[in-house]
Amino acid sequence: MLKNYLKIAWRSLRKRPLYACINILGLFAGIAFVLLIGAYVWQEYHVNRSLKNADNQYILTSKWTDQNMGPDFVSLGPPAAILKETYPHLVANYYRWDGIRSVVVKENTKLREGIQIGDPSLLDQFGFELLQGDASTVFNEPFSLVITEEKAIKYFGKVQVVGETVAIENFSGALQDFKITGVLADLNENSISYINDAYNGFFIAKNSSQFFDRADFDNWELPIFLSYVELQPSVTPKDLEQPLRNILNDHASEGTRNNLTIVPVKLTDYYLNKNSGLVKRMLYTLGFIGLFIIGMAIINFINIAVSFSSDRMREIGIRKVLGGKKKQLVFQFLAESIILVSIATFLAVGAYPFLGGLFEQVIGKEIIPLSAFPGYFIAIPFFIALTIGLVAGVYPAFILSALQPIQSLKGKLQISSKTIFVRKLLVGFQFTLALVVLIAAFLITKQIDFFFEKDLGYQKEYLVSAATPRDWTEDGVKKMITIRNEFETLPEVSNASLSYEIPNGNNGFQLQLYRSDASSESKVVSQGMMIDENYLDTYQIPLLAGAVFEKGVPNADAVLINEQAVKSLGFESPEMAIGKQLKNVNQEEPLTVVGVIGNIHFESLHTPIKPQVYVDVKAALYYRYFTFKLRPGNMQGQLAMIKSKWQELMPNAPFKFDFFDETLATLYTNELQLRKASYSASVLAFIIVLLGVFGLVSLSIQKRIKEIGVRKVLGASKRNISQLFVKEFAVVMVFAIVFAIPLSYYIITLWLQNYVYKITIGFSAFFWGILIVAGTSLMLIFIQTLKASNNKVIDNLKTE
Amino acid sequence: MLLQLNNIFKWVKTGGQQTFLLKDINFNVEEGEFISIMGPSGSGKTTLLNVIGMLDGFNEGEYNFMDESVHDLKEKHRADLYKRYIGFVFQSYHLLDELTVQENLEMPLLYKKLKGSERKAMVADMLDRFNIVGKKDLFPTQLSGGQQQLVGIARALISNPKLILADEPTGNLNSSQGEEIMGIFKELNEEGVTIIQVTHSEKNAEYGTRTINLLDGRMV
Ligand SMILES: Nc1ncnc2c1ncn2[C@@H]1O[C@H](COP(=O)(O)OP(=O)(O)OP(=O)(O)O)[C@@H](O)[C@H]1O
Ligand SMILES: [Mg+2]
Repeated sequence: MLKNYLKIAWRSLRKRPLYACINILGLFAGIAFVLLIGAYVWQEYHVNRSLKNADNQYILTSKWTDQNMGPDFVSLGPPAAILKETYPHLVANYYRWDGIRSVVVKENTKLREGIQIGDPSLLDQFGFELLQGDASTVFNEPFSLVITEEKAIKYFGKVQVVGETVAIENFSGALQDFKITGVLADLNENSISYINDAYNGFFIAKNSSQFFDRADFDNWELPIFLSYVELQPSVTPKDLEQPLRNILNDHASEGTRNNLTIVPVKLTDYYLNKNSGLVKRMLYTLGFIGLFIIGMAIINFINIAVSFSSDRMREIGIRKVLGGKKKQLVFQFLAESIILVSIATFLAVGAYPFLGGLFEQVIGKEIIPLSAFPGYFIAIPFFIALTIGLVAGVYPAFILSALQPIQSLKGKLQISSKTIFVRKLLVGFQFTLALVVLIAAFLITKQIDFFFEKDLGYQKEYLVSAATPRDWTEDGVKKMITIRNEFETLPEVSNASLSYEIPNGNNGFQLQLYRSDASSESKVVSQGMMIDENYLDTYQIPLLAGAVFEKGVPNADAVLINEQAVKSLGFESPEMAIGKQLKNVNQEEPLTVVGVIGNIHFESLHTPIKPQVYVDVKAALYYRYFTFKLRPGNMQGQLAMIKSKWQELMPNAPFKFDFFDETLATLYTNELQLRKASYSASVLAFIIVLLGVFGLVSLSIQKRIKEIGVRKVLGASKRNISQLFVKEFAVVMVFAIVFAIPLSYYIITLWLQNYVYKITIGFSAFFWGILIVAGTSLMLIFIQTLKASNNKVIDNLKTE
Repeated sequence: MLLQLNNIFKWVKTGGQQTFLLKDINFNVEEGEFISIMGPSGSGKTTLLNVIGMLDGFNEGEYNFMDESVHDLKEKHRADLYKRYIGFVFQSYHLLDELTVQENLEMPLLYKKLKGSERKAMVADMLDRFNIVGKKDLFPTQLSGGQQQLVGIARALISNPKLILADEPTGNLNSSQGEEIMGIFKELNEEGVTIIQVTHSEKNAEYGTRTINLLDGRMV
């Protein structure tokens, strides 16, 4: 019986290839996209889920009374260890790490890499799989190193590298050999070796930490470590609340004690919820887009199926007259729709590897190959084919099978005005959504352009930054200053500057400042920056009052502050601030304001400009970047010159530079992805709308073919005929536009609330969105009908 | 002279073979004539009428309509000719089912870009003349065949054509309905409208002033 239904359905589809193709194409686009989104969502939900005892793994996050006091994903070193020691019934294990970036050397390969210095419990606690080496002993000896498969191949071209050595540089520029004791199988994304989109491929235990002078996990004033605990079975984070409070009260300084709460967050939740739920929001957004696309495809299917059915009225009538039951007719239609959806699904699965590549660019992340899914996922395409087939087929099936036999025999679909209304409503819905997506894409683009075009307070043109080697000593700084001066002598370089920060959102330390003549209650949390005396000239930041740091001598107590700090500290004007003394909480010596500089956007435009305090790099002794201001001209040539100078001055340091547009792009990765995503969605929505319009217009023409002939005989021109159809759809479009404008306005307003600095929404995005969607659709209708009315009149009239 | 056909040939190629539908057709039509085209089924009557009405093309010969060569006419110009000079009446009426009687009548006027008030007056006039005022808001499917054909003729006449082309206008009607229609044609002809009709019936042909007989696409 079933076979019979399928056979007849298949035949009837083959008789109408255009109908079948349009439907398959629309469904294919929808299903392919939904598959990709589904795979991505699944993958994101699995971050941290493949860890050993994943349900018991927690990260210790920091909740500060003032957000500016420190980021939330890092914490103090000691509490995790004390927890395990004092409360072994609560905490089974702990792991902490300190991340550094340094140069790894193997013969001629010299690259800056992310290195993780941590407790030796790494492998044991999380169950990371070793391809080579013995998990229980890898970190026994100092200067042992575990690397990932990927890095092994990068440096050695093979995986069997246990026993080999590489050298790693410390911040004084000294090299030390490390022996490789283990090779990790490539890690799935997780929140232990991936943090904030940077991932580490080199793992060292704290028994080597002295060489780097880092990973001081016992320090109570350094809330900079990633810290994880594995809870005993059936222990909840609530059970840790009091112990953590007690630990802080017993050991931490007053400032820390009063302002910090340590909050354990389950790792499986942590990834999705971090950055105030950014990942989760992304997944919801994508899920919504997926539903929308598949919804559109289904709507098209329903529309076209009902429309094209007038072709089949006679068939339906005959079937009925011959005693076909309503139920059988319904099954017949469902069989057809399931066949169509199955073909589309099959194609979509086949296209996954190709479309996956495109999708990766949109999402900015690798998407797992089909082969990496669990075996039972093979059922999903069947499930999709069946569900969508039923959902899409059921409405047309019932509409058509409920027809009176006499209507059907006449070959005429007596479409009630209600049905027509429903159909137009559906097309209108498509138009609306396509408009909304496109308008949103335009406005997202506008906001992103705004990121890059807004006056940031400094001039990013011709600016190039490059990471320096590190020797954070007095001699080290002196040497760097000399090198900086060397660079400035190059004709290609108009200015060069040495600093710890560049305006990429990452600042080194926070200061809590108050005026010496006021109480410490009035303290202002400010971002601390370490710069040299060339910084302002290089970045072309205006000096509003006072002077920059003196050349040559370290200015230990002198600071520059920005305009915002002037305001926050309550000085009446920049000039009034000059020479005034500021005090930092927990520090005896006062600082003296020697200069006031303009505000710059140091962070992304999500956040307002904060009070900033600039100290002299010569006194602070911390630095990370050279920034070069090039002269206008041949960039490639200039960079080549800088590179050769660099290699001459610092033969051991790799030269890797970034233009400032690239630096800014890292601040707006999510927005850039969102833009790509919204354009992809627009293209997809657009295709589906056009397919929908195409299908409906073909039907309309087919239905009115005789009418076209008659009208022509009565004097209608081709234009008159086209107008007939255009008018029919124009009404629907007008309604769609009326709905789309407020809807997209609302959505974008909501989105823009994420930003402190934002565009005015304006009028042009709406104008262009409407023009493109409506214009293209009307054009399609026009061309299609023009072709139809090109027929010889007599051919139209013959069609009875 | 209204129209002139000289040595008109029309053929189709089927499977490499040339089949002639019209062979060497020659005749002139003066204004005010009432011509009947007769012949057995398949002899080419409809084909000829469609050529005269410019609904279909021809392959060879010359056709002048009001001193213009139809061969050289552009599509747009042809539409103009329909609008101004020619009205069609079809055997199967070809009314638009979605439009009411009134709207069907109004349609040709829309394409002549007449004002709304003028159109109303002309439609009302036609409804009155054909005695179908009571039916003006009905849809074609709600009318009998004879009534539909009345509407078809009314529609053909509403734009004041010089020439009416009718392909078996009574073919689907009973004899009394047929007589009524032929009576109307006669009246129209007496008012000066030129009529060319295709018919199978000797009786209907007698209403005309002249008969053209076709056999196998050739005038006899
Ligand atoms: N496009 C075409 N291709 C092939 N043959 C055609 C074509 N159009 C018409 N014919 C043939 O030409 C012949 C004349 O057709 P036409 O319709 O003019 O006949 P008719 O005299 O009107 O007949 P009837 O009285 O049955 O209406 C017929 O044999 C028909 O099959
Ligand atoms: Mg005929």
